[in-house]
Amino acid sequence: MSILPNRRVVWGHLALVTVIVGITIAYIFDARGVSTRATNLLLIQPLAVLIVILAAFVLPGIFPPVTSDEAKMHDGETRMDLARALGIIVALGVLAFTLERIGFDIATFGFMVVTLAICGERRWWVNLGFSAIFTVALIYGYGAITPFPFPLTVL
Amino acid sequence: MIELDAVAGAFELLTSDASAWLLLIPGLLVGLVFGAMPGISITMAMAFALPATLYMDFLPAIIFLTAIYTGAGFGGSVPAVLMNIPGTSSALATTFDGYPMARAGRHNEALGVALASSVLGCLGSYLVLFVVIGPVAGLVLKLGPLEMFAVAVWGMLLLGSLAGTYMARGLLAGAFGVLLGTIGFNSAGFVRGTMGVPWLLDGVPQIPAMMGLLAASQLIALVNTTYIISDESARKISFSKTLAGLRLALQYPKIILRGSAIGVIIGSIPGVGSSISNLLSYSETRRNSDDPDSFGQGNPQGVIAAEAANSSSEGGAMGTMLALGIPGGGATAILLAAFAMHNIVGGPSFIANNKDIVYALIFSNFAQAILLLFVGLGFVYFASYIVRVPLRFLIPSVLVVSNFGAYAIEGSAAGPITLWIFAILGWAMARYGYPVAAAVVGLLLGSLLESNLLRTYQISGGDYLTYAAERPAALVVFGLMILSIALQSISKRRRARKLAEAVRK
Repeated sequence: MSILPNRRVVWGHLALVTVIVGITIAYIFDARGVSTRATNLLLIQPLAVLIVILAAFVLPGIFPPVTSDEAKMHDGETRMDLARALGIIVALGVLAFTLERIGFDIATFGFMVVTLAICGERRWWVNLGFSAIFTVALIYGYGAITPFPFPLTVL
Repeated sequence: MIELDAVAGAFELLTSDASAWLLLIPGLLVGLVFGAMPGISITMAMAFALPATLYMDFLPAIIFLTAIYTGAGFGGSVPAVLMNIPGTSSALATTFDGYPMARAGRHNEALGVALASSVLGCLGSYLVLFVVIGPVAGLVLKLGPLEMFAVAVWGMLLLGSLAGTYMARGLLAGAFGVLLGTIGFNSAGFVRGTMGVPWLLDGVPQIPAMMGLLAASQLIALVNTTYIISDESARKISFSKTLAGLRLALQYPKIILRGSAIGVIIGSIPGVGSSISNLLSYSETRRNSDDPDSFGQGNPQGVIAAEAANSSSEGGAMGTMLALGIPGGGATAILLAAFAMHNIVGGPSFIANNKDIVYALIFSNFAQAILLLFVGLGFVYFASYIVRVPLRFLIPSVLVVSNFGAYAIEGSAAGPITLWIFAILGWAMARYGYPVAAAVVGLLLGSLLESNLLRTYQISGGDYLTYAAERPAALVVFGLMILSIALQSISKRRRARKLAEAVRK
């Protein structure tokens, strides 16, 4: 039996609010651990309390009535649609963490090939060709106008 | 107010040196190209060009840099409209209605509107600067931390008006943004919330975070879409529609004037500048509109308000820089560096002794604004082709360019990692009805709010009321703020009554 009859749990929304409240609580504990003087907590402590109160006001949106628009918001979305978005997020994370380690050229090329495939490019020669040309053009083009040297492995 | 001898001297300076004029168009083009590239800020464009000015004479060097400033100021609105990427914080409000306009197939018009508003805002600001450069210098000196805090709180109040359907979610997003904006060292020397990550000591990297929240998150959400503009017939590149956008902007002189006035005043306050002025102008225009709900859905008035304010901030920031030698932001700091490279010290003594050069700079900026209209028209025509690129190519390409930009800004992987974290946050927030823009505004204002509140606390010894009573300027700002809230609530109630009457009929 459901604890909340006629209501649905929007798990993604619950995760988001948990992250926001979790970060806020961790931050305020960290700040209080540094110092409890007014010059440290003047703004952030009242703000943290406000965030927790506001999060409580958001709760009805996390457990909306099953008939509400909010509960049906993502009904048209297939699992594959969501998997594509999550795939891009994972690829972006891998790119961010590997740019310096394996070189901008290899990381960029790899990211382009994977995300082009996720976004729906099924012709492998187009995927590989575009990724290679774009990577070379970006490395040399961007590198020429910014003062920072990008770590490279091949180019 | 205006010294005619100095004006005559300025004309003589400008007519005797052709190189000052020859550098205008190259400067504008450099600014446009750099400004339109995601991740490259106005400051970076100017910093990149700074060494090239070393062997120029002083006046052509400064004119070249201010041309880049003007070009990049508008260039930032191109990705803001076409890709929802504000290259700089000053183009943030442009995305609110510019991008929805582009997605509705009105990209040509949106760019035309943005260009005309930028040109008029820039012209207006330098006209104001020409007349009031002297009095502005005295006024800016009187601003204390309480006034700065008041301005930042005013900016924060925008969060309420920017909030979408759900008020609590808007406020939560804004408050969380402010909290994240205070991470790192505060001005009292305490380090909080860094989790031992060294690059968080200076706070969350703002530009990568903004790029993640607004642009990368949007691109992730578009992964199941084929084109930015779904309707094939709306993807046309039309010069005549861009021109129609220019004409459309001219139909709203009041919004341009209000935006320019806000831009000049806020732009002249060091450390605040165009990042707040575009939001204030947007919010005021929305508040005064008969149809505020259309804002954020692709209302050209929103683009006009934002662009008029952010381009007119240039004049305000230049005023403070010239009058006081205080840079309002990164761009004017580069200009001051260029002054130093030529062994010239900016500030009150520079203005007193070199009024002819100051007026020459102002006149040259008039010319830059007019030239921007023509150079910018050609530029936006070619930039508009982006809407015809399938998203399966655009999404990976823009994400990679954003990562490069984030890396270039931070000089380390801190930029791309920040972008990634905030992209996830932005994607999740947008997915569950939180106004991402509110979080961005909070993030931008967090440290400004805290440092000014702290300074006010230290100066007043905790007795805010007595201190505030001695600061008439702060009271005026708070008064204006309360008036603004009251008017907003009255107009909301009036709209609700009208709606109820319409339903009854």
